Amino acid sequence: MKRYDLIVIGAGPAGLSAAIEAAKCGMKPVVFDENAKPGGQLFKQIHKFFGSKEHRAKIRGFKIGDDLLKEAEEYGVEVVLNATVIGLYPEKEVTVKIGDEVKHFKGDAILAATGASENMVTFKGWTKPGVIGAGAAQTMMNLHHVMPGQRVLMLGTGNVGLVVSYQLLQAGCEVAALVDAAPRVGGYGVHASKVSRCGVPFYLSHTIMEAEGDEYVTGVTIAEVDDKFQFIPGTEKHFDVDTICVAVGLSPMSQLLAQAGCKMLDTPGGYIPECDEFGQTSIDGIFAAGDVSSIEEASSAMIEGRIAGVSIAAAAGYLTEEERKEQCGALESALGSLRKGMFAPENRGKILKETEEGIEISTNLLAKGYVAEDEITRYPGFVKKAGVHPVMECTQNIPCNPCQDACPKGCITIGENITSLPVVDVEKDCIGCGMCVASCSGQAIFLIDEEYEEGYASVTMPYEFLPLPEKGDTGTALDRSGKEVCLAEVVSVKSAKAFDHTNLLTIKVPKDMADKARFFQR
Amino acid sequence: MISVDDKLKEIGKYIPQPDDDMLVCRCEEVTKGEIRQAVHAGMFTIEEIRRFLRCGMGLCQGQTCGKLVKGIVARELKVSPAELEPAVSRAPMRPMEMEILGRDGGDK
Repeated sequence: MKRYDLIVIGAGPAGLSAAIEAAKCGMKPVVFDENAKPGGQLFKQIHKFFGSKEHRAKIRGFKIGDDLLKEAEEYGVEVVLNATVIGLYPEKEVTVKIGDEVKHFKGDAILAATGASENMVTFKGWTKPGVIGAGAAQTMMNLHHVMPGQRVLMLGTGNVGLVVSYQLLQAGCEVAALVDAAPRVGGYGVHASKVSRCGVPFYLSHTIMEAEGDEYVTGVTIAEVDDKFQFIPGTEKHFDVDTICVAVGLSPMSQLLAQAGCKMLDTPGGYIPECDEFGQTSIDGIFAAGDVSSIEEASSAMIEGRIAGVSIAAAAGYLTEEERKEQCGALESALGSLRKGMFAPENRGKILKETEEGIEISTNLLAKGYVAEDEITRYPGFVKKAGVHPVMECTQNIPCNPCQDACPKGCITIGENITSLPVVDVEKDCIGCGMCVASCSGQAIFLIDEEYEEGYASVTMPYEFLPLPEKGDTGTALDRSGKEVCLAEVVSVKSAKAFDHTNLLTIKVPKDMADKARFFQR
Repeated sequence: MISVDDKLKEIGKYIPQPDDDMLVCRCEEVTKGEIRQAVHAGMFTIEEIRRFLRCGMGLCQGQTCGKLVKGIVARELKVSPAELEPAVSRAPMRPMEMEILGRDGGDK
């Protein structure tokens, strides 16, 4: 039987990160993955990630995937693809189906980084062709460049539902509505806002009654639910759609760990192994990292993987206890900062009334997907001054700070705590470079100039749709809710390598529309 | 392991529901009604229901319906899903051809 220092199951963000760290220390790890390509879900992620520099914020997910693969190659990590691990045994033996053979391997340490699978909900007609998981939609669009449908209804307003809705719009699909049985939007407000201003209506406290169609989906009926999630008669709404996308959470794929006999916990977040701070399960030498040990973002999975990799190397004698402490300390602090803010694990299920700064939270954002006009003015990123200046519509404490490094003039401050809301210093001179606009992963920064021309203001917005409008194009300005508010003329379109495909679109609107116009439609 | 006393728990009569014909396990084509009836027939654990109805034993190995079945059983027993013993995980973790499995000679 072939023996390895470390066997990693799953070549996603957690697994690859762990293997890289272990290989850096001199170990010879192998990574098995059942898919034909490595990277897990990273290559479907075309949006910019949150966090700070150390978490690779404002870099798009697939680019992080590319870098991870390069790093794995550089350190000689062996990645075996189309290799399905079918069994994991407490003696740290794995059985792997490779080709038409079952092979046995033994590892001094095993890391399960098997990720998660999508949850499903049942409703009448849920098995019809046209009802798909949000992950499938992402695979079709972002890996295979196939539109999942023409007109889509999304169920679920967590980050997956919000991000995939935006990507559907980018792919050219129409998103008929975003629906969630919960009374509040589950994901980041900034993700909701960028979908909302494109004109997608949100239906909270609603869920699907029926997927209609004989052979495949041709429509869907949703209805409002009461606080016991029972349909309220008379609240039915129908949409003609050909696709229903379901994004109702993920479940850890922890079956291998359960089979090995690791102590498991049945939590509201899924069936997960009990792990110590280094990711070691109840069985000595069997570790878990990433979504399999608790559902989080890819950024957290990569750090968890690195902590496990370092810990495994230390346990095998490749690092001294001091070296381990030093490396793990830095990684743990990076992980800790990602787990702060309103969406931190400890805040799950809680209804927060105020931001960390003591500012009342936008209720409209949670109920309808956008911050109302009379709410936005209370946040420190919303300022008024003569000349061009940033307006930052960032209203929730999420761990993210690239905007403060982006401004060459120091107009934007977040401070030490990366979940703080950005503050705009009106005393500093904004030169209108737009670096902040492009750096914001949440597309929440706009440049406003209320004195652009006599009677007109200019609004510069992040724009990630193709084909790009051109200077001189005319169209309609939409407000935060996606409602048409006035005519608009494109006065500038800027694209630069540093913007990384977030184009800066500047439109000219009547002066009194400066605080309203947030999107442009041809 | 479920105790004999738990098996004697009175859960009331099986009352048909309008969506009893809805497929829950699409791989093995098991409906919500069949799962509910199995509970009323005395199968209180996921393991028993799985052996009896084959839900969760098809191509996706319960990846899609596992949580749904658990929810239905828990509701029928009027307990929280977390109180139900999870289904046992066994190798092979993914469906595979018997021919390949049969050739597995172990450690060679």
